[in-house]
Amino acid sequence: MKQTHRSSLTLFRTLIYIFLFGLVIVTIIPIWLVLVNATRSTLEIQQGLSAMPSTHLFDNYGILEGRGLNLLRGFTNSLFVATFSTVLAVYFSLMTAYGIVVYNFRGKRFFTSFVILLVLIPLQLSIIGFYQFMSRIGLTDNYASLILPVIASAGAVFFGKQYFESVVVHDLIDAGRVDGAGEFGIFHRIMMPIAVPGAVTLGIFAFAAAWNNFFNAFILISSIEKYTLPMLVQLMRGDVYRTEYGAIYLGLAVTIVPIIIIYLIFSRYIVNGIAMGAVKE
Amino acid sequence: MGQHSENYAGLFQQEPNMTAANSHKTGFRFKKDYYGYLFIAPFIIAFLLFGLYPVYNTFRLSFTNTTLMGGSGSFVGLQNYQRLFDTPQFMKAVSNTWLLWILNFIPQIGIALLLSVWFTSVRLRIRAVGIWRTVYYLPNLLMPAAIAALFFSLFSFFGPVNQALVRSGLIAEPVQWLQNQTVARGLVIFIQWWMWFGATIILIMAGMTSISVSLYESAMIDGADEWKMFRWITIPLLKPILIYVFVTSLVGGMQMFDIPFLLTDGRGSPSGSILTNNMLMYLKFSSSQGHIGAASAVGVVVFIMTTVIALGIFYFLREKN
Repeated sequence: MKQTHRSSLTLFRTLIYIFLFGLVIVTIIPIWLVLVNATRSTLEIQQGLSAMPSTHLFDNYGILEGRGLNLLRGFTNSLFVATFSTVLAVYFSLMTAYGIVVYNFRGKRFFTSFVILLVLIPLQLSIIGFYQFMSRIGLTDNYASLILPVIASAGAVFFGKQYFESVVVHDLIDAGRVDGAGEFGIFHRIMMPIAVPGAVTLGIFAFAAAWNNFFNAFILISSIEKYTLPMLVQLMRGDVYRTEYGAIYLGLAVTIVPIIIIYLIFSRYIVNGIAMGAVKE
Repeated sequence: MGQHSENYAGLFQQEPNMTAANSHKTGFRFKKDYYGYLFIAPFIIAFLLFGLYPVYNTFRLSFTNTTLMGGSGSFVGLQNYQRLFDTPQFMKAVSNTWLLWILNFIPQIGIALLLSVWFTSVRLRIRAVGIWRTVYYLPNLLMPAAIAALFFSLFSFFGPVNQALVRSGLIAEPVQWLQNQTVARGLVIFIQWWMWFGATIILIMAGMTSISVSLYESAMIDGADEWKMFRWITIPLLKPILIYVFVTSLVGGMQMFDIPFLLTDGRGSPSGSILTNNMLMYLKFSSSQGHIGAASAVGVVVFIMTTVIALGIFYFLREKN
C-alpha cells in the first residue's frame, strides 16, 4: 500500500519535471533563435532552423550598415538615455523613500498612500497631453523628455520605502547628527552606502524599463540620429530589410543581449526584488 | 550577496511589524521633521510637471479640435467624444484590448498558481526552484518591441516558420500566417503570456511562503486534503497578492501597445483584430493632420475606464478583508 503511494508520487514528480522542462524550452526558444540566427546568413536561415551558431555575424552587421541603419549609434543613444534615467530614478526614489521613512512630517501618511495609488494609475494614457506640453516648452526630440519624468517613479519609491524600513537604523542617524552632519549629509554619506543592494535592484529595473521603452521614444523623438534601439527595431520591420533575416536577428540580438548579461550577473537581486516591490497592505 | 537576498525574502513576510521605524520618535528628531518635505520635494515637483499636468492637459485638449499643424484649436465641447462613440473602430479597440488581456491573464495566473503550489509543496520537494524561476522570469526584462519584431519575422510569408513547415512537408505551400485573425490574436496573447508568467510566479510564491505553516499543520490534523487546504487556506490568505497581480496586470494590459503594434502593420491588421486602445490613440495622433484633440479623447476615456475599475477593485475587495 505504502509502496504504491510512494511510486505514484515519484511518477507525479517526474511528470512535473517534464512539464517544468517543457516550459523552459518554451521560454528559451525565441531568445535562442534570435541569438543563433544573428550569426547565420539569410540563406542559412531559410534552409531551416538550427541550434548551432554560424559565422556570418559581421556580414549581417555589414548588411544593416549598408542599408543605412546605424546600430552602433542606436546602441549608444539607448545606453545614454537608460544610464541617465537609471541614475535619476534610483537617486530621487531613494531620497523620497528616505524622507517618508525617517521623518514624521504632516501629510506623510497621505503622501505615502498617494504614491501607492499612483502605481495603479495608467499615466501612459496622458502621453498626448505630455507631448503637447513638451512641444510647447521645446523639449520634443530631446532626451530630457524621456529622462526627466523618471524622477517621479511611484513604483520605485514604494520599493525604496520597503527597503529603507528594513535597513534604516535610527541610532546611526542620531550618531551622524551628534557628529554634526547635516540631514542630507547623513542621507548621502551614511544611508546611501547601506542602501547599495537596494539601489542595485532598483537600478536594474529602472535600466530595463528605460532601455526597452518604445512608446514614449516613438512619440517624442523624431530625428533619426536620435533614435534609440527600439525605434531601430521598428525601422527594421520596413520593406528595405524585409528579407534580410540574418541582419534583422542581429539587430534584435543587440537589443536583448545587454539585458540578458545584466540578468545573468544580478538575477538574485532581481528575483527577490520583484516580490518586495509588491503592495501588500 | 546571498545574505542580502535572504533579507529581501524575510522582509516581505515581516512587513506588518515594520512600523517600529516610523513610531520611533524623540524630541531631537522631531525638530528636524520638516526635512521630510525637502526630501520628497523633487518627486512632487516632477510629478506635478510630468505626471499631473499632462493628465490635465490631455483632458483639456480632448475638448478642443487642436491639430499638430494648426497650433492651439478652439473649444468644441464633447464633439471628439461624440465622434469617438459613433465610430465602431473605438468600441472594437476597447473590446480587443479586453480580449487580448483576459486571454493572456487567465493562463498566466493559472500556470503561476499551479507552479507556485508545486514549488512550495513540502510533499513534492521540487529541486532547483530558484533556477526554474530565474529562467521563467527572463522574458519579462526583454524588449517587447524586439520580441514582436521577432515573431513578425518568424511568421512572415518568406520567414523561417513557413520555410521549415514547407520543407518538412507539413504544409504544401507557405501560409500568410499574420493575415489570419486567430493567429494574429493568438500570437499577441502568447507573447504577453510568455513575458509575464514568470513574474506572476515570483509574486504568488512570495505570497504563499508568507503563509504560516502552522495553519496547514492544524488543517492536516483536522483531516483536510490538499485541495481543501488550497481552497480554504491558500486562496483566502493569498487574496491581497492576487488582487495586486490582477490590478497591475489590468492597468498594464489596458495600455498594451508595443507587441500588437509591431506584430503586423501597426493598424491592427488583419481587419483591426489586434487594434488596441493605445494603438487607436496613436493612429489619431499620427494621422495626416495630427488630430491630437481626438487622440486625447481616446486617452481620456481609457484612462477613466481603467482607473475606475482598477481603484474600484483594489478598494472594494480590500475592504472586505
